[in-house]
Amino acid sequence: MSYNCIVIVREVWDTRDLTGSVLADNGSIKDSMLTRFEPEDMNALEMALRIKDEHGGKVTAFSVGTPKQVDVLRECLYRGVDEVVRVDAGASSLGTQAAAQLLADAIGKAGQYDLICVGVTVADGESSMLGTHVAGKLGIEQVSYVDAIEEIGEGRVVGKRGIEMGYEYIEAPLPALLSVGVALVEDDPRTPRSAKAMLKLKAKKAEIPSADVDASAVTSPVSIAGREAVPERAVESKDVAAEDETALKSMLDDVLKGE
Amino acid sequence: MSNILVYAEIEDGVVHDVSLQCLAKGREIADASSGKVDCLAVGSGIRAAAEGLGAFGAEAVFVAEDAKLEQYLTSPFKKVVSDFLKTNSYDLILFPATTVGDDLAPAVAEALGVACVLHCDGLAGDALTRLEFDRKVSTTYKAEGCTIASLKDGIAVAGAPDSSRSAQVSDVAVELDAASTKSKVLRRDVAKKTVNLKDAKIIVAGGAGVGTKENFSLIEELADALGAQIGATRAVVDAGWLPADHQIGQTGVTVRPAVYIACGISGAVQHRVGMLDSGKIIAINTDKNAPIFKIAHYKIEGDLKEVLPKLVKLIKA
Ligand SMILES: Cc1cc2nc3c(=O)[nH]c(=O)nc-3n(C[C@H](O)[C@H](O)[C@H](O)COP(=O)(O)OP(=O)(O)OC[C@H]3O[C@@H](n4cnc5c(N)ncnc54)[C@H](O)[C@@H]3O)c2cc1C
Repeated sequence: MSYNCIVIVREVWDTRDLTGSVLADNGSIKDSMLTRFEPEDMNALEMALRIKDEHGGKVTAFSVGTPKQVDVLRECLYRGVDEVVRVDAGASSLGTQAAAQLLADAIGKAGQYDLICVGVTVADGESSMLGTHVAGKLGIEQVSYVDAIEEIGEGRVVGKRGIEMGYEYIEAPLPALLSVGVALVEDDPRTPRSAKAMLKLKAKKAEIPSADVDASAVTSPVSIAGREAVPERAVESKDVAAEDETALKSMLDDVLKGE
Repeated sequence: MSNILVYAEIEDGVVHDVSLQCLAKGREIADASSGKVDCLAVGSGIRAAAEGLGAFGAEAVFVAEDAKLEQYLTSPFKKVVSDFLKTNSYDLILFPATTVGDDLAPAVAEALGVACVLHCDGLAGDALTRLEFDRKVSTTYKAEGCTIASLKDGIAVAGAPDSSRSAQVSDVAVELDAASTKSKVLRRDVAKKTVNLKDAKIIVAGGAGVGTKENFSLIEELADALGAQIGATRAVVDAGWLPADHQIGQTGVTVRPAVYIACGISGAVQHRVGMLDSGKIIAINTDKNAPIFKIAHYKIEGDLKEVLPKLVKLIKA
């Protein structure tokens, strides 16, 4: 039995190694900020590609954004996705719930599917969990914080859901949506595959089709009223040389004072 | 005027601390605007805990009990909460930012077609704020009409119960149909709580840099010498080196000990949010650029396999 999988991917601000301020003087995000493939969406992509590797079928990637913002879709092609669809958001940024509406519209028009995978992240500038809203609008079952698929078959999927003190295993009927969590450790066997040179050559100039949906028809119940820089926490910090036992001792004395 | 509903998450007969924090925050806002705060509890065997919410400031408590609601699942809980909200109207509905609250809040928002803002670190009037961009920016969200929000641990201090207060408790009818019972919980592997990190004065925490399960003896020795509890990152729990009740961070516990010793921990934001309010932070890491050093009071650049035995020796000396 093969599966038609959909992945929803997002290009997000790269917050690794951020130094200095994020905001420009007018309160908008600085032009110099870089973007990257949302890491949990990357895990969602890997999940879908593994289902295809194992059971056959097709993987289609959807992303909301302007033509410039969908490098992630090309990245999906480089990793072995069969089709990509850009969902145009119009000029302004939409907010999570309106983006979910457009995605649901586009996915609804794309034909039969068995499983939708998306990262669980509430990205910077988003207000809620995209996957749950998409599932709600499509009227399908969803499981969030899924770390792994335990089983897929016979019209059902079993997701391993990471919760506060462990895991739970949830069985949902297909079609279902999984919001996928966990930033992977480097030598984790689930680490996402890298782009393939051959596919890169093939897809570098490929046209990215866009979905026939109308961004002007959706409205967001939530809007961003403002952004404010949060001052760095001023931590008075001391370097303590690892070999210097006297320094280590005085550090211990300092912190254990009063304990 | 703000009328607020707090979703009371109850596990093993205990109301989740963050739900109590939501109640304290809700109380504050309702008092400032002559509004009211009610609670809704959904589950099985939750009545006694729910009744106790009056002492924490709830005016009315609604209890939706059914044996089928013993374990959390999105669809049946969504059905119960959204049915309740179709006949009871509130301006603001607060959920704890847990794996239950963050799952249920957007699902209910969809069922009702209302606004949803998750992971709020602040709430004032109708302004919901979230820390974003590696906690460098505070973004304020405003919503139209009824709003659903989840609030993070630390949003307020859960007040002490006041036994002179009590709430009017009423039952909510539970009607589950075929559409809301399609999924099931096959099994749960949940660690029994063996450590009490929340009340620990000193925590020695290990990360992936500890290297192996066996090396955790180094962490244990330091913890023993200090009378400290042992914490861990998710990487450690995922690797099976320690059970999940040791995990500190976004999906673990949030701790505020007087002393936090981070050993071989990079300091990913999901970990930092769980420990950055510690009194004094000591970080031991081989990488001088590790983000944990940005919030550490004492930075020890070095190999924990050498530094930890030295600390033990110094403490015992
Ligand atoms: C939705 C979500 C929720 C999450 N929730 C949590 C959470 O609750 N808690 C949590 O911790 N993480 C959480 N994470 C994971 C988090 O993003 C990081 O992956 C994790 O915290 C990294 O753990 P680490 O610091 O142990 O490992 P790494 O990031 O691999 O860091 C290991 C560190 O050890 C250092 N090191 C290596 N060898 C030595 C040595 N010999 N001596 C000293 N130092 C050494 C390295 O320089 C490195 O800095 C979550 C992620 C997601 C996506």
